[in-house]
Amino acid sequence: MQDIAGRLTEELQSKTSFTIPFFGGSSIPVPTSAVVTWGIMAFLMILTLIFVRNLQMVPKKPQVVLEGLVGFINDFFTDILGQHGKMYAPYLGTVLIYLAFSNLMGLFGITPPTKDLNVTAGLAFMSIILIEFSGIHAKGFKGYIKSFAHPMPAMTPFNILELFIRPLSLCMRLFGNIFGGFVIMELIKLLVPAVIPVPFSFYFDIFDGLLQAYVFVFLTSLFMQEKLEA
Amino acid sequence: MTGLIGIGAGIAVLTGLGAGIGIGIATSRATEAIARQPEAKGEINKTLILGCALAEATAIYGLVIAFLIIFFLK
Repeated sequence: MQDIAGRLTEELQSKTSFTIPFFGGSSIPVPTSAVVTWGIMAFLMILTLIFVRNLQMVPKKPQVVLEGLVGFINDFFTDILGQHGKMYAPYLGTVLIYLAFSNLMGLFGITPPTKDLNVTAGLAFMSIILIEFSGIHAKGFKGYIKSFAHPMPAMTPFNILELFIRPLSLCMRLFGNIFGGFVIMELIKLLVPAVIPVPFSFYFDIFDGLLQAYVFVFLTSLFMQEKLEA
Repeated sequence: MTGLIGIGAGIAVLTGLGAGIGIGIATSRATEAIARQPEAKGEINKTLILGCALAEATAIYGLVIAFLIIFFLK
């Protein structure tokens, strides 16, 4: 029991892969999550370069799949955000693809970057900035300030609280799901090392990972839509 | 002391109870709605996932608090 607690505490800390020596004797630690993120970035860039070469007017097989995927992402966000919010679709789509890949990393035995609280906190911070920016962009600064008293002036404190609750909840939801899934998988592997973990792995690594990626961008775009409309 | 910490973490995870009931109710109503109006399936599914994600958040908070209790009260 003490052994498990110790290992979990160790897993909760963000591990350092290597340190970059910095002049003056100090050094910059590079966490594992950043290294894995670079790997995902490189992989996605290579995929993009391969599939975007020689596009044709009459699409062949891989291009049909590619067009379907891009069309699905664009339609999904345009559906929620409306025509005005179309410019935010590329960022949200990128986050969706990145989250989907990073949540699936657990399948290959690589630590998912989203298991690091700092990564999800950063993503949630980006989301809240984008949400508030979309409000300012759509209605101007004055309209944005006025929108805090939106349904009625009595709601103002809650609207201000939402500024902090929304990113906190986005961050904790993603982190809690991935970390909770990881802990449960570790416990199951400890009890039964073979066969039994496979169906659980399907649920926690594939289904839950993809669902959380979807939920993260879905909630971000819903909050943006609220700011765009209200 | 360890036992008391364990009990505290267990109580924190009881938040899952509410989330489970909430998601159950939402899913049952969504199934009824789809049975009544199969053509609105897409919209219903989207709303259901949103509701589940929001309901699930409470369970996740409980889980995070349980972790914090175990790791930082040791």
